[in-house]
Amino acid sequence: LSWAAQRLRAWSARRHGRDTLPFAIHRRRIYILPTRFGLILAALLVAMLIASLNYNSNRALAFAFLMVGLALIAMHHCHRNLLALSVDVNAETDAFAGGEACFDFALRNESPVERSDIQVRCEARAQSISSVPGHAHGRVRVCIPVARRGVSRFKQFELRTDHPFGWFRAWTYVQASLIAYVAPVPRGERAIPAAAAARGLAPRADASGDEDFAGLRAYQPGVSLKHMAWKVLARGGEPAVRNYSGLAGNPEWLDWSSLEGLETEARLSQLCRWVLDCEAQLRPYGLRIPGTEFAPACGREHSRACLRALACYGIEAPR
Amino acid sequence: MKVSGGAAEPASFERLAWICACLGLAVIPHVAALPVWVLATVGACAALRLFRAAHGRSAPPQIIRTLVAVLAIGLLFMQFRTFNGLTAGTALLSLMAGLKVLETKTRRDIHILALIVYFLSLAALLRGESFWLLAYLVALVWLTTATLLHLTGASRKVAWRPGWRYAGRILAQAAPLALVLWLLFPRFAEPLWQTPSDGRGATGLSDSMSPGDIDELAQSDEVAFRVRFAGAVPPAKERYWRGPVLHDFDGHTWRRMDTGPARPLALLFEGPAYQYTLNVEPNQHNWIFVLDWPSSWNLSRAMLTSDYMLVQPNIISQPIDIIVTSYPRMRTPEPLGPGMRARDTQLAPGQNPRTLKFAQQLRGAHPDDMGYVHAVLELFAQQEFFYTLTPPRLGENSVDEFLFDTKRGFCGHYASAFAMLMRAAGIPARVVTGYQGGSYNRFAGFWTLRQSNAHAWDEIWIEGHGWLRVDPTTAVAPLRIEPGLSDLSSAEDGFGSRRYPPWLADLRLRIDALQQFWRDSILKYNEGAQLKLLGYLKIPEPDGQKLAMVMAGALTLVLGLLAWQMRRELAPAVKDPLVRSFNRLCAKLAAAGMARLEHEGAEAYAARIGRDRPDLIAAIKLCRQYSELRYGRNPEDAAGFAAAVRGFRPRRAL
Repeated sequence: LSWAAQRLRAWSARRHGRDTLPFAIHRRRIYILPTRFGLILAALLVAMLIASLNYNSNRALAFAFLMVGLALIAMHHCHRNLLALSVDVNAETDAFAGGEACFDFALRNESPVERSDIQVRCEARAQSISSVPGHAHGRVRVCIPVARRGVSRFKQFELRTDHPFGWFRAWTYVQASLIAYVAPVPRGERAIPAAAAARGLAPRADASGDEDFAGLRAYQPGVSLKHMAWKVLARGGEPAVRNYSGLAGNPEWLDWSSLEGLETEARLSQLCRWVLDCEAQLRPYGLRIPGTEFAPACGREHSRACLRALACYGIEAPR
Repeated sequence: MKVSGGAAEPASFERLAWICACLGLAVIPHVAALPVWVLATVGACAALRLFRAAHGRSAPPQIIRTLVAVLAIGLLFMQFRTFNGLTAGTALLSLMAGLKVLETKTRRDIHILALIVYFLSLAALLRGESFWLLAYLVALVWLTTATLLHLTGASRKVAWRPGWRYAGRILAQAAPLALVLWLLFPRFAEPLWQTPSDGRGATGLSDSMSPGDIDELAQSDEVAFRVRFAGAVPPAKERYWRGPVLHDFDGHTWRRMDTGPARPLALLFEGPAYQYTLNVEPNQHNWIFVLDWPSSWNLSRAMLTSDYMLVQPNIISQPIDIIVTSYPRMRTPEPLGPGMRARDTQLAPGQNPRTLKFAQQLRGAHPDDMGYVHAVLELFAQQEFFYTLTPPRLGENSVDEFLFDTKRGFCGHYASAFAMLMRAAGIPARVVTGYQGGSYNRFAGFWTLRQSNAHAWDEIWIEGHGWLRVDPTTAVAPLRIEPGLSDLSSAEDGFGSRRYPPWLADLRLRIDALQQFWRDSILKYNEGAQLKLLGYLKIPEPDGQKLAMVMAGALTLVLGLLAWQMRRELAPAVKDPLVRSFNRLCAKLAAAGMARLEHEGAEAYAARIGRDRPDLIAAIKLCRQYSELRYGRNPEDAAGFAAAVRGFRPRRAL
């Protein structure tokens, strides 16, 4: 059965090409089959019909046909439960090797009809949402374990439902590339090489001190709220962050070449560790790896770019 | 949120309780037919499982379950020797349901239980046939389906009210489909294979009569059959509906032994002919109750026996309609054959000695047959005999005890004693059981014969005349046969029947009329009615194949309509014509590659079109016009806008 499902998935991918997100589920894209209970029910209905015909009982026949009607209507309700639902997802996400890549699916229901019990599946990982009310949307987060550094690509995800009675299963395959940038495991004991030393300047005695106020700089998303210049904001100015000498002065250079003697993956892991450490301490840092260099900066965007560069190192960048 | 909704998820107590309730309700219609120990086992299984679930424990261990299963099913087989047939099958199904409850762990098991509930419901309909039963079972399906709805739900919390509504809606949508299938599904004239006819108990009079049998029947309001007279209605004292004729008497019980085929004696009918239609309820017997002496009937396979019972080869398990013509009186020109005479004058040796002696004394005083008959009837009328629904129980010499000791009896007692007295005097006599009278339903124009109309009387052979009906009960209780005026108006003439206040009597009549409708249009619907329906639909030369095609077509049509209606609910029609026109404009523009964004109003949209697709100048104008119509101070004409949108043909981007 899983073989058949795989063939169907491949066929669906070939047939429909790439889908654009957000994807509104068209009726031609919904497959539907009876479940195991549906098949048992079918056998039961046949038995009911034979019994009623054999006993020549009109009222039993009426009852049996009511059950047949129930099954047929249930099939349409199952199909409708997915119909015209619109799904969107963050197509790119970040993760660390050995962890999980999480994708947030948004199911938008623009119809007034409530949708129930919809499962989102990707790479054999599934997550259900019990209800998406009419004119509302629901969120489903599916997390897929990623073992190795690199770029993981998932070409397809699936929405399925057994609603209402579990006699039928309707599903659809959405051909959308989900990309997870899997950064190396942050690991390594080495200290960050002193930036100042590399440039031939004397290190400051109190380099670690955060306390020396050294002016303001523009706010960047991701900066700790501790360092926000709230008074400036309260006066009606632009959001700003207080700069401390310990932060501002000497950007760290996280350099590939400073890690002589380590293997590639170990080097990447060490660099990753440093990136995270710098980010946590709000110290501006730059990253230099063969082929790429990131100017010193701080904040979520910067760290994401650095981590993605580490994830993609030696790997062809995704299209 | 955790991954849930799998079939393997443990069943919660609430769900378990609900499905157990469904199962209990499904077993109720079978209670009378199932062995008590089966019911007890099912109940105990459910109680044990629910008790364990309430204390947060799972199903009992495998070994106990297997043991109970082997024991129960073995016992069942020992009792029935088969699993075929309705009662054995139902018992097996109920037991399996009970055992399934015992081992229920997951939702999967509850799914299976729901299916068993559905099948038990159907089996109940094979057994009973009342309209109320069907209504009850449809309600049960509703409940079970609502329970099932919550099984598939990913959430553990069960919302009942929306569930009820949803399940009810699905059922309501299923109803038209069921109707189409039911009307048009090809029927078979004969059953596919013969099943033991157990479970559907024979009702009404049987082919034997012991003292007290008819008293029990007389307590029942169940309908035996209904009659519609084509012309004149015979007076009450001539409405005798003949059934089993009993010849063989052992001193206590009258029986009808099979005597093989014998030619009925030719009859010369007398009196007015009555034509009527009988609506016979299934009674699992093969005889048909007809008014006195039938001369013709429209059921070719039915025939008269030598004692003028109308019988047909198979038992009546389906409602049937027969048109019969009967005469109230007749003469037999031929003499009674020696075999029949011997049979109808036979007495059980050594039984009822006091009666025998008394009869011989009385016969001495009245050598003339008719004189003797009148003397016996006089005896019933003059002496202290009482007509009662609750006579004392009688032993082996039932006639002796009745005539000389208790003197209290219902019609059966009198008929039995009278026939015995006749035979003792050498006059051939036999007991006839059947129905007498009937109540008129003035709302629907038919007569209803209930079990409470069951009656027993005698027929004696008078040389030169033939068989003559004598009803000894009339000597004791003339009212039983000739009701007073008040009885006619209340249309209730069973002597032993309860009396009802007028409004209740009316209600009963109306319900009776309703049940007759149910019987006529639902229970009796068959091949012939189907073909008639096809003819009504103007389909030429209707046959089975055409029927199947019409069914497929109608099913597709109805299902298509329902599906269309369901899909329409997703995008309900916009009421406002202006909005509809604007939506059409947007759709056209989207097809041309310039879709409106969700957040864009008409003005912003127009501005963007002007920026990106200046060639769509008409669209910009239309958007502005819509904005003006919608929000402007002097709305222009909306019809013009709609027409303009209809005529708008944007080109795709190059």
